[in-house]
Amino acid sequence: MATRSLPILLLALLGLLVANLMFGAVSIPFKSILEGFQVGNANYFTVHEYRFPRTILAMLVGAMMALAGALVQGVIRNPLASPDVLGVSHGAGLAAVFYMTFFPDADIRWLPAVALIGSLIAALMLWWLCGQHSSTIKLAITGVALAALYASCIDFLMLVKPLEINNALLWLTGSLWGRGWNQLSMLLPWLLLIPFALWLAKPLNLIHLGDDSAISLGIKANKLRLASLAIAVGLTASCVAICGPIGFLGLVAPHLTRKLVGGRHQILLPSTMLVGAILLLLADLVARTIDPPIELPAGIMTAIIGAPYFLWLLLRTK
Amino acid sequence: MKRLLSIALSTLLLSFSLSVQAVSSAQDSIKNSVEDSKGTFSINYVPKRIVVLELSFVDALAAVGVSPVGIADDKDPERILKEIRKEISDWTSVGTRSQPSLETIAALKPDLIIADISRHEGVYADLQKIAPTLILPSRRATYEENLHATAIIGKAIGKDKEMQARLKKHAQIMAEFAKQLPEGKEVQFGVARDDALFLHTADSYAGGVIRALGLKNANTGRSDDAYRQTSLEQFLAVNPDYFIVGNYVTPSIVDKWKNEPLWSVLKAAKNHHIYSVNPNTWSRCRGIISAETMGQDLIKVFNTNK
Repeated sequence: MATRSLPILLLALLGLLVANLMFGAVSIPFKSILEGFQVGNANYFTVHEYRFPRTILAMLVGAMMALAGALVQGVIRNPLASPDVLGVSHGAGLAAVFYMTFFPDADIRWLPAVALIGSLIAALMLWWLCGQHSSTIKLAITGVALAALYASCIDFLMLVKPLEINNALLWLTGSLWGRGWNQLSMLLPWLLLIPFALWLAKPLNLIHLGDDSAISLGIKANKLRLASLAIAVGLTASCVAICGPIGFLGLVAPHLTRKLVGGRHQILLPSTMLVGAILLLLADLVARTIDPPIELPAGIMTAIIGAPYFLWLLLRTK
Repeated sequence: MKRLLSIALSTLLLSFSLSVQAVSSAQDSIKNSVEDSKGTFSINYVPKRIVVLELSFVDALAAVGVSPVGIADDKDPERILKEIRKEISDWTSVGTRSQPSLETIAALKPDLIIADISRHEGVYADLQKIAPTLILPSRRATYEENLHATAIIGKAIGKDKEMQARLKKHAQIMAEFAKQLPEGKEVQFGVARDDALFLHTADSYAGGVIRALGLKNANTGRSDDAYRQTSLEQFLAVNPDYFIVGNYVTPSIVDKWKNEPLWSVLKAAKNHHIYSVNPNTWSRCRGIISAETMGQDLIKVFNTNK
């Protein structure tokens, strides 16, 4: 199963990468794209300064969010789990909306940093409330409760300061518009988390046998859980800081991948990164080309694609 | 004497070097240098292909007869006032004002972009890679800030004289309108959606225009917001003499409120001083042409009243 899916996924990714460079408000033929990488070319801005960094960013963010989702689902052992249940993206959202409503004149460049701090505080909050030795179900429920609390605070802020709703809503749906080289360079250090995540694949398989079996097989269940969640928090926080909370990606991508390649984490984790990248590239491509020159936020597209698929998946599996 | 000589000499030298600079800049033909929200902006040519990312900038260009090649009009040409559409030639839509398509802007090959500091600061660096970008306040700008921004645009596009003349004419027109309007009457403008009424306070653009026309803003309580969402009861506390409403949808919340007993207690309702206007003119466009249209609207309001 896995050997059949992987080449197809890779091909799909490659195809989407090229499609993202070719299509948009203006279509550029394949040949001109290569020329567009040269300084001074007529398409230099569109290809090199705009579409290329945005495409790479979509690929990385998609991969990282999907990986975070797979890690959380692996640890919490609940199909409905996703980075969202940790309250991290809502924490980032609250910090960002707070910043936008109370400091409307402040420099927008600080927004990613503010969102990142918000999500990390949210993670620490969860950690402080649950501690190391609580059960995963307690962790999940606390996370959901905290997320709901942050969401209500966001609603409150937007109702009190309706003027800034547009900017805030736009950010909260998650978008790749206007993201380029700068944002890409901000994301790069966080890629270091990926090898650590992949390194956890084998012990993650064992924890699926249940804590007792895993411990008797030499796994430090609590430490593993902490490490996985910490990595998931880091991955999600960095992505959300840059693109806003792009919904459903962390939930749907691992499920879809499990259908394709099975549940072994050594294969699941890399494949889910591929699937996540494909999903976000597709979402952003559709968002840019469906009604040019109008640009829809990619987060809306992932929700439109993701939600019905997820329902179908749930109805089928029972 | 020696000292005097040295001063004279150095002054001479200085003026010489200055004149050298003047010559070198004269070689760049014209140099338009203005202060925008990010510092000094200068170009040394008259821009021919201008892309604007907010509606108020269209107003400013149309005021001196310049047509932009691209407008962020939310893909709806009706967003531009009829009066302004008459003045400018066809344009290409570059998408929404909140997320304009940078690809479409780049494809238009502009030689000047005018952006809004409140909406487009995040992509300012990208815009600059496409073309020199003048970034000014539009979205939350007051009437006075808007006039200032309009003057800056005039200078940047090499039409300083024309724009100054147009602004002077604008001031005369507004003064003329003010004469026809009863002085000091209390007027409140609000935008009504399906589920909410937003009052435009003294700090808003419409509030500034109302004052410029010699009328008075109603006291809306808190003074830090340009727009204030208001319930029926809060609106009763504001209780303006005249209420101008722009309905984004019909029936709006104001139409629903009309059936409530509280509504009939309002001064404006009792004296039949409620008038509906085009919300696009009053809320979205913000510029000298729309301000003049607003003045005409108010004159109509007070004339039907006599």
